[in-house]
Amino acid sequence: MAHNVLPQPVQRLIDEFARLPGIGPKSASRLTFFLLRGAENQALELASALQELQARTRFCSVCFNITEMDPCVVCEDSGRDPNLLCVVEEPLDLLAIERSRAFNGRYHVLHGAISPVEGVGPEDLRVAELVERVQGGTFREIILATNPTLEGESTALYLQRRLAGTKVKITRLARGLPIGGDLEYTDEITLSRALEGRQEFS
Amino acid sequence: MTEVCHSLPNKVELPDGWAICYNAREFFCKPRKKFMRITHLSLTNFRNYGRLELTLPAGATLLHGNNAQGKTNLLEAIYYLATTRSPHINQDQQLIHWDALQTHDPVIVGRLVARVATRQGERQLEVRLINEQKGQQYSFRREALVNRRKVRLMDLLGQVRAVLFLPQDVHLITGSPSQRRRYLNITLCQIDPIYCRQLSTYNKLLEQRNALLRQMAEGRGGHDVLSIFTERLVTSGSELFARRGQFFSNIARETQHIHYEQLTDRRESIRLRYLPNLHDSPTNSSETLQLADWLEDHLQQPERIKERFWQAMQESKAKDLARGSTTIGPHRDDWAFWVNGRELGLFGSRGQQRSAVLALKLAEINWMTSQTGEAPILLLDEVVAELDEQRRALLLNYVQSAEQAVLTATDKAMFSDPFLQQATMLYVENGRISANPTA
Repeated sequence: MAHNVLPQPVQRLIDEFARLPGIGPKSASRLTFFLLRGAENQALELASALQELQARTRFCSVCFNITEMDPCVVCEDSGRDPNLLCVVEEPLDLLAIERSRAFNGRYHVLHGAISPVEGVGPEDLRVAELVERVQGGTFREIILATNPTLEGESTALYLQRRLAGTKVKITRLARGLPIGGDLEYTDEITLSRALEGRQEFS
Repeated sequence: MTEVCHSLPNKVELPDGWAICYNAREFFCKPRKKFMRITHLSLTNFRNYGRLELTLPAGATLLHGNNAQGKTNLLEAIYYLATTRSPHINQDQQLIHWDALQTHDPVIVGRLVARVATRQGERQLEVRLINEQKGQQYSFRREALVNRRKVRLMDLLGQVRAVLFLPQDVHLITGSPSQRRRYLNITLCQIDPIYCRQLSTYNKLLEQRNALLRQMAEGRGGHDVLSIFTERLVTSGSELFARRGQFFSNIARETQHIHYEQLTDRRESIRLRYLPNLHDSPTNSSETLQLADWLEDHLQQPERIKERFWQAMQESKAKDLARGSTTIGPHRDDWAFWVNGRELGLFGSRGQQRSAVLALKLAEINWMTSQTGEAPILLLDEVVAELDEQRRALLLNYVQSAEQAVLTATDKAMFSDPFLQQATMLYVENGRISANPTA
């Protein structure tokens, strides 16, 4: 066996890389040795980027997106529709909706979905903050944009119940066929949902 | 006419969708039905097959040879491609060739590939069983491909359908409810993709609800979240009740008919009943049957089923909380045969139990054919030896009218000469298959 041959700092970096999602022991060693052999400032650049990641980001105190400034650029943007609120599970979901350029309202990031199996309940998410925001806010419509997974659907249903007392209109993202998709390869449930949600063609 | 045609021993299939059947005195032409059969099977590192390439003909194929040479493994491979399940409840990891697992390669792949011919054309199905080394541990996963395109395992179901006969089928009647539910799920999943999706959703919701119940026992988690999962479980579970109920109302009629007309010469009638668990602990069998009757009467009213299940869930909530698990629902369903007002599994003779299970399996063939227009592939593992003359003749009748059937036997003498002349004979020895025993 070849253990203990590697200097401790090298082994430490390999172990750290291997803890990242999608990276196995092989990739971890390859990355480490790439940095070891690469130009000196490359490793330092990475190190400072990592430090900054911790030091200069935080959660926005309004929408809980990741931000450098508090409140974040989206919450500060006065050009956005103050009547619309879109609730997402993760910051990456927010980015995806932003990329679509189809939405110009506000956001709320939950940081997860309800999943008792993983020990995640509403109290572990930014649910209380959402309720407070909706009760005290100017919103006319809340769009529940949690994932169409079992956990995401359960979370949406839960939020709907929690917000039922407020006079705000609650909507859910439509479910159906992907653009450029093929009917033949669409699964039965998506297809039956798409049929249920069909719209008049005009 | 189809019946007549099947009784004639010789059949020539014409390329344009017609077939001619004949014997010395008469012949019939008939349009060829929709069909589905495996034309070629290749196995890599599966059970005792290191490598196998096998061309399978239409009609009956008899695999013969000594015990432990790989006859059953071949049936298992076909069954696995049809259902993504092994007929035995064991770990899928064990399906990979033992020798391959001994090599300590970082990645070991068992591969099952079938080319399936249908009236619409040919398709290729593939399942990969992958054992991968990650650090000190091995992880096992499966992949499915249709026409070399990766799909979810679930999407493989229905691409080729099979009905399996095993000598131990009688355990379906005498064994545990979980065995009967397993059979029910595998059978329904082959025909009804929506059922299969719903079953998977239900199981995940059940897992979530049970986790929540356990947390609530420790003082965490709230009733508001529980009601969300209960509601979703009821919606999903009612769908399962309805689809299972529909399945049983079809297959029970067919099973009872075959049993009465073809297996017992109208001497004995049985009843096949679905026993839905949508009520808190029925105390006796008459209560259970009342519930079964109620469901049968309300199959066309999904809202009523949902309502009743919801009510029952509310009543069992305290018990669920105390036990830390969901005590009622389709995951506790059962089914049973009744004969003269008694349950066959408890009071029937071995012979009665065998007849009932044979009737059920034969009904499954007819049900699948009527649902899809395509006859399933029949897989028979040493079952002929278990049956008396009359039942054997009936079963072989089904085999001969099937589009494709694969049988195993250690002893060829079980079969009649006309059958042997018609069937393709293959000899299996130590993971190799040949036309004849090598001297």
